[in-house]
Amino acid sequence: MTWLIVSLTLRQLLGQRRTWLLVLLALAPVLIAVIFRLTTDGVRDPREFVADGVMSNVMINLVLPLAALIFGTAALGQEFEDGTAPYLFAKPLARWRIAVAKVLAAWMGTAGVVGASVLATGVIALVGGTMDLIVPAFMVAAVLGALAYAALFVCLSVLFERALVIGLIYVFVWEALITSLAPGAAYLSVRAYTLGVARALADTPATIFSAQLGGAASFGALALVVLLTLGYAIRRLGSLEIARRA
Amino acid sequence: MSAARSAGEAAARAPQPPPTATRGTAVIELRDVSQWYGNVVAVNDVSFDLEPGITGLLGPNGAGKSTLLHLMAGFLRPSAGTVLAFGEPTWRHPELYRRVGLVQEREAVYRSLSGWDFVRLNARLHGVADARAATARAIERVDLGAAAHRATGTYSKGMKQRIKIAAAIVHDPELLLLDEPFSGADPRQRLQMMEMLRAMASEGRTILFSSHILEEMERLGERVLVIVAGRLAASGDFRAIRRLMTDRPHTFAIRSSDDRVLARALLAETAVRGVELGDGRLVVRTDDFGRFVTAAPRVARDAAVTITELYPLDESLESVFEYLVSR
Repeated sequence: MTWLIVSLTLRQLLGQRRTWLLVLLALAPVLIAVIFRLTTDGVRDPREFVADGVMSNVMINLVLPLAALIFGTAALGQEFEDGTAPYLFAKPLARWRIAVAKVLAAWMGTAGVVGASVLATGVIALVGGTMDLIVPAFMVAAVLGALAYAALFVCLSVLFERALVIGLIYVFVWEALITSLAPGAAYLSVRAYTLGVARALADTPATIFSAQLGGAASFGALALVVLLTLGYAIRRLGSLEIARRA
Repeated sequence: MSAARSAGEAAARAPQPPPTATRGTAVIELRDVSQWYGNVVAVNDVSFDLEPGITGLLGPNGAGKSTLLHLMAGFLRPSAGTVLAFGEPTWRHPELYRRVGLVQEREAVYRSLSGWDFVRLNARLHGVADARAATARAIERVDLGAAAHRATGTYSKGMKQRIKIAAAIVHDPELLLLDEPFSGADPRQRLQMMEMLRAMASEGRTILFSSHILEEMERLGERVLVIVAGRLAASGDFRAIRRLMTDRPHTFAIRSSDDRVLARALLAETAVRGVELGDGRLVVRTDDFGRFVTAAPRVARDAAVTITELYPLDESLESVFEYLVSR
């Protein structure tokens, strides 16, 4: 039953216009990689360009949270907006199942778009040179980061009607601005955990690419975010009065 | 397993009346139910029982009909009181949906799915054993076979209503709750849907539909619950309530070739309680709607007066409801 809801949700997510805008956004790093390959002067290390430049600054800072935000807040939120939520909630289904299915769908959508972009960008920029496990490391990090973001944004959509706006504030004000001004804020940033995982898995020298948090802490924090936000979403969805939202 | 499957297949071929719904049993029970949103009271201390058959929930827009349906559907937690379906609280009880079908007022459907896929999805979410057969049966019941493979996004409003009903009955529910089911349907579709609901009720199901249109109640509601401003204003047999509505004092305005002569003639009629002249028209108050409307033309003819215009001054549904509440 869970997979039925997942496939229905994926179908809905792929049918919305903003998904296609997102695909265009995910193509941007690929395009940057192509331009890099065509114009590289051989002075800059391609690994540094990929890991520190395009993967960290564009992929993990921008493409991943935006993709997760769009999929995560729409997976359930769109059902309330469109008025289709009663078709799910007037069924003999435990609400935890609906919450889990929505997180899975948002995760799969995000991981699919971002994962493909990471793979294409990395291969185009690094093929023929030293690759240092950069691509697999960022693939794993993006997939795990996508899960944490998806759970977080689905949870926001259970709590708030304006989850998209709140999510945007989290991504651009907290994660992008506050963490750059006050490095301690990274301890509450999915982006920092994702970069920590990539750093731990890549065997690139730290001079090329570094992260604020260590590997173990990052893996643990991502797992904690998933457990806490999914658990809270299930709890709140269980007592949500559908008529007040649908 | 195979026995269960063959039983399921047999049931798919010939829908059976629901086993537990028997006349005289309360399927829905509301006791002292109130619902408020902040400071706004949407439903105010309402109690009633619902038995198998068709019941209409009548009231003007904003009276609290949808809130009541949502309470019965388990989509709201009552602020006070209890709402039971089949003896169980409806709030936080998803297993009840095996026996309940809900048609919401919003036109929403999964637009990219075809009618067939949409109904089948609902069957699968309900865990119906033979989703294909159940889908075929539900679509046939709402007479949408010809359009079943078109995307629901291309459906007319009336077709969307019907596919929503198909989705709500695909699991053969004993209780069907419908919020304004006839809105958007043309007169032919409306009659067809009424026929279908009547047939379902005759199988022993409990059907509650809301409407703000008196004529829909007249055609379908065996029993009626009248809700006004969140309160239950009247309940019971529709004909008795209809009689109350028609027997209330009525006021008519008449324009004629000679208002004074007509006023004098009408005052002699026992059905007329009073007349007033002014503003170029004659205002007549009557206690007996039926007798007055048959007497007025006769009186005018006998007095050699031509009536050019005759219209009720208080026929809005709101005024009917106000009268019922004030009783």
